[in-house]
Amino acid sequence: MTIITSVPPPQAPGTAGEVRIGAASAVPGPLRFIGRALRTLWSNGKARTGMIILGLIVLAAIFAPLIAPHSPTATNFQPYLGPSATNLLGTTGNGQDVFSQLIFGARVSLIVGVCAGALATLVAVTIGLISGYRPGVIDEVLSFVTNLALVIPALPLMIILAAYLQGRSVWTIVLVVAFTSWATGARVIRSQTKTLRTRDFVTSAVFSGERLPRIVFRDILPNMTSLVAASFLAAATAAVLAEASLEFLGLGNPSTVSWGTILFAAQQQNALLTGQWLMVFAPGLAIVLLMVSFTLINFGVDALSNPRLREK
Amino acid sequence: MNLRSLAACACAAALLAAGASACSSHSAGTGTSTSTSTSSEGGTLTIQGDSGNPTLVENFNPFQPSTELHGTYLIYAPLETVSSINGSYTPFLATGYKFTSPTTLVYTIRSGVKWSDGTAFTPADVVFTFNLLKKYAALDANGVWSQIGAVSASGNDVTFTFKAPNVPFAATIAQTPIVPEHVWSSISNPVTFTNTHPVGTGPYTLKTFAPTQYTLTKNALYWDASKIAPTSVVFPAQATSQSTNQLEVSEGQFDWSYTYLPDVKATYVDRDPSTNQYWFPPGGTIGLFLNLTQAPYNNVNFRQGISLALNRATIAQKAVNGYMKPASTSGIILPNEQQWLDPSLPGQGVVSQNHGAAMAAFARAGYTSQGGKLMGPNGQATMTIVLPNSFTDWAAAATEISSELGQIGIKVNLDEPQYAQYAQTTQAGTFNAAIGGFGGTGIPFNDYNLTLNSAYAAPVHTPTVNNFERFNNAGVNRALATLAAATNPSAQQQATDRLETMMYQTVPVVLLYYGGSWGLFSTKHFTGWPSASDPYTLPTNYNYSLLTVVTHLVKA
Amino acid sequence: MRYILRKVTLFIVTLWAAITLNFILPRLMPGSPVDAALGKLASAGVPITNAEKAAVEAQLGAPHTSIFVQYGDYLRNIATLRFGTSFSFPSQTVALTIGKALPWTVVLVGATTVFAFVIGTLLGVYAGWHRGRFADSSVTIGATFFGAFPPFWLGLLLLYWLAFKFGWFPLKGGYSPGTTPNWSLSFLGDALDHSVLPALTLAITTLSGWVFGMRNNMINTLGEDYVTFAEANGLRSRTVALLYAARNALLPNVTAFGLMLGAVVGGSVLVEGIYSYPGVGNLLYLAVTNHDYPLMQALLLVFTLSMLVAIFVVDLLYPRLDPRVRSAT
Repeated sequence: MTIITSVPPPQAPGTAGEVRIGAASAVPGPLRFIGRALRTLWSNGKARTGMIILGLIVLAAIFAPLIAPHSPTATNFQPYLGPSATNLLGTTGNGQDVFSQLIFGARVSLIVGVCAGALATLVAVTIGLISGYRPGVIDEVLSFVTNLALVIPALPLMIILAAYLQGRSVWTIVLVVAFTSWATGARVIRSQTKTLRTRDFVTSAVFSGERLPRIVFRDILPNMTSLVAASFLAAATAAVLAEASLEFLGLGNPSTVSWGTILFAAQQQNALLTGQWLMVFAPGLAIVLLMVSFTLINFGVDALSNPRLREK
Repeated sequence: MNLRSLAACACAAALLAAGASACSSHSAGTGTSTSTSTSSEGGTLTIQGDSGNPTLVENFNPFQPSTELHGTYLIYAPLETVSSINGSYTPFLATGYKFTSPTTLVYTIRSGVKWSDGTAFTPADVVFTFNLLKKYAALDANGVWSQIGAVSASGNDVTFTFKAPNVPFAATIAQTPIVPEHVWSSISNPVTFTNTHPVGTGPYTLKTFAPTQYTLTKNALYWDASKIAPTSVVFPAQATSQSTNQLEVSEGQFDWSYTYLPDVKATYVDRDPSTNQYWFPPGGTIGLFLNLTQAPYNNVNFRQGISLALNRATIAQKAVNGYMKPASTSGIILPNEQQWLDPSLPGQGVVSQNHGAAMAAFARAGYTSQGGKLMGPNGQATMTIVLPNSFTDWAAAATEISSELGQIGIKVNLDEPQYAQYAQTTQAGTFNAAIGGFGGTGIPFNDYNLTLNSAYAAPVHTPTVNNFERFNNAGVNRALATLAAATNPSAQQQATDRLETMMYQTVPVVLLYYGGSWGLFSTKHFTGWPSASDPYTLPTNYNYSLLTVVTHLVKA
Repeated sequence: MRYILRKVTLFIVTLWAAITLNFILPRLMPGSPVDAALGKLASAGVPITNAEKAAVEAQLGAPHTSIFVQYGDYLRNIATLRFGTSFSFPSQTVALTIGKALPWTVVLVGATTVFAFVIGTLLGVYAGWHRGRFADSSVTIGATFFGAFPPFWLGLLLLYWLAFKFGWFPLKGGYSPGTTPNWSLSFLGDALDHSVLPALTLAITTLSGWVFGMRNNMINTLGEDYVTFAEANGLRSRTVALLYAARNALLPNVTAFGLMLGAVVGGSVLVEGIYSYPGVGNLLYLAVTNHDYPLMQALLLVFTLSMLVAIFVVDLLYPRLDPRVRSAT
């Protein structure tokens, strides 16, 4: 239910993601776990590139007031200027500096991407776990809801929801995007949960009388971490694109500074007519780079879970 | 079949499918491919402005306001056209009008006019048209029957009897499209009638209609056919993307376009300086509407304070890049309606920013500056301005307003929903402050009446489009009634002066800058366009100005 | 048999739920279609008055009945394929409006999806087979990069450079202004000319989904025993790749086909808007901005129905392709 992304489609029955052999019931300390994960990621060339790009974008977002030469919203420049020494990417129709907007825009795009992705993944994991663990009526109902959510086209639904919710802020966009993109992840998590449910170590835990939350959090979930991580990264990628699309259509708040609103302004003020194609090119490229960085990191996560995907 | 040949087949099929992109076999069009060749006579006029969506719907019903094709105005002639710049009349089906009493209006109908199907046109058609509007209220978009009580014909005259004196309303009556009785009397439901074979008295008739363009050709039976220059008029549909429309205009595809262009000299004129020209006269006024049912906006001193605190020149600069000037707060559009301006108004009614005077006005309203904030009985003064997010010049103006008011200590928030939501909150009167349009009809009475007449001020939560700020002033109502009944020019001038002074002093709306009318022309094929040196009408092509201009053109 | 019955029941119930959701959603939007229509007039500079609004209301026939009556009418109308009259095109029924636009989107989206599916799958096979080597890296990096392109961004840039600056392609529309759609060769050529840029935009941005899906599946399949066995038997690697690995790896991609269709249709909403392409994507955007309930409902229904049908067909086809599933039912 995401807009076009590079998410691998749900896998065919019988080829569920691999579980690391030997990690069945022993759960390493969380810190050690994360440390090991990061090291494995770093050893993967693609993931390393992704982490570097993401790191640069995050730094730009944090240190925006230091990096950006001007305020992003001040309208004291001549409008419709082309690139120059003072305005590296030119100025908007309102006389604002595009380059400064680009730097500050990283904040909103990152926040929306990460938050919407996290929220969508949270919902997906919850529904997927519940649905996969307990076959029966609950599973049928939740699967039905998931399928329904998958079947309704995402962008039209987002447009309608964004127009409905009156609080015109960034968090509206986060909610709308999360609400429309949890379904793919839920399907994947459900099928993985179902598979894990039948594994010996889980069956033995059930028979030995372990309480449900313990089983879920100690046995099942840790063996799905890479799947959840991959799901999160894919959701975040889709969220960045969705936010840009909604802002571009004018359904967000035009006074926030984000890469999508720069594109919206470029379209409204017809940057192409005034020859300012850089104003269209630059924020789009930034969006592409952010999405690419998430996806590249996701390659590394895939390799974590599926040794066959690890680079030789 | 092995996978390889399957793949090859699929590839070929995909390419074939892409290569033979099938097309729709449906078509509402009546014609085939149209050629826009220039004939030996006058040539072809190409006009940009009809919205495509992205295809046109063939319907020349002149009474359906939301879907009208612009060509309708060239097919159906009215009694007279009224210039939206200065209110002057150009006769068409009528040769003149007079008020025999403040409530009796008589139009003299031209003789020797024929409908485009050969039938003779008579005053009975005029009476029929107005009675049709009475029978089907949905067709009466201008509210004619809220003003008149009866219409009748005798000889060459058509007489309208008003319920109450309303002299300026003659302009609305004049610009009602007249339809043929012998065609429309047999139509079962004119409200939903899809008119694909229009019969009119105008200078043009429908020649061909295709989903993305339609062509009109000169009506040989038009009474003044020899004076009309273009032999055919072509209306291509616009793109759904406004920026694409601007690109096409910039490429010089049209003789007459109506669209805002950023940096018009570089993007349009310089592309062909010998033929490309533009004229952006003021066509209305943009103002900050304060909700007069809420405190402190119901306090005239507070409104004066806001008006004096704003720098209109900067606002106009930010909003429309200096194309438009700061507006006169008298409600008169300058220089269009210069003759109506009250000369005793200081500075032509244009208010300059004056912080001292603003603070004095606020003080009279009980608001003083404390620690950089404007504090009143309920704490800091705050304001939420609502405007539709697609009107970028309004958005820029509002941003500038919020920063200027912020400097004197008022906290301003902006709310930018889609138009429908903006309309809902303004019409219901539940807004705080809003950016909106004032005037633009070319006739001062209509401009003032629609915004200031308390008859329209519905209670909060009852929607009204007119006077949505809910202004209620007995003095203004009286002045409006006097102007409505004034038949001689000096009485009209006096009444108008009174209204101007009241606008200036009571500030029902904080008028900011003029809204532009974006006329873009090419003199390659035709000349005679309205311009600053010859401002005979506004360059709008979505109303009867279209008829006035096209009948004014000569071959280049 | 039970499998088919289950799938049919699921189809019908999901269809009902989608229809009901489609009914509720447009009505949740604030603002009425009358206000939206007035908005169009206002942005053109037409002064709006109470009389104008009353006339527009009468023309559009805004509903005054209770919501349950409306729902009943809605269901009845869907069953008889009567979708009413659109608010944006009052002279034309919704069915006709969509009917005129649908073929354009079907061809654009269909041709693009088939093209992207074929090319993407082949690239995915290529990359998966040569996993870890330069060929794989270049394909995956390239696909990642191009797949991240926002479709509207790519559309704008292509429009600017190829259509406006170089003039190689038309700026807007599905065909030249003034021509009426027909089956002549010159029209088909004209339509093709107008469809190149939108198709290119959609194809480039959807390619990567297929590439990755196929590549991952290939890699998983390549680890299977039967592939190792085939290689050990001395079969040519190309044969093993295509006949053994790819064929099995293809299966999950087929299930994804139905879902990807939804993604491409969603992308076409923006792309059609930028190119003023006369398809249903453009109609949907117009319907939402005009608060055009009848048109919006019908369009959402069309989209949802086509997705459901695609998934349903795939679900029916799957047992044919994968005997493992067939035997399990």
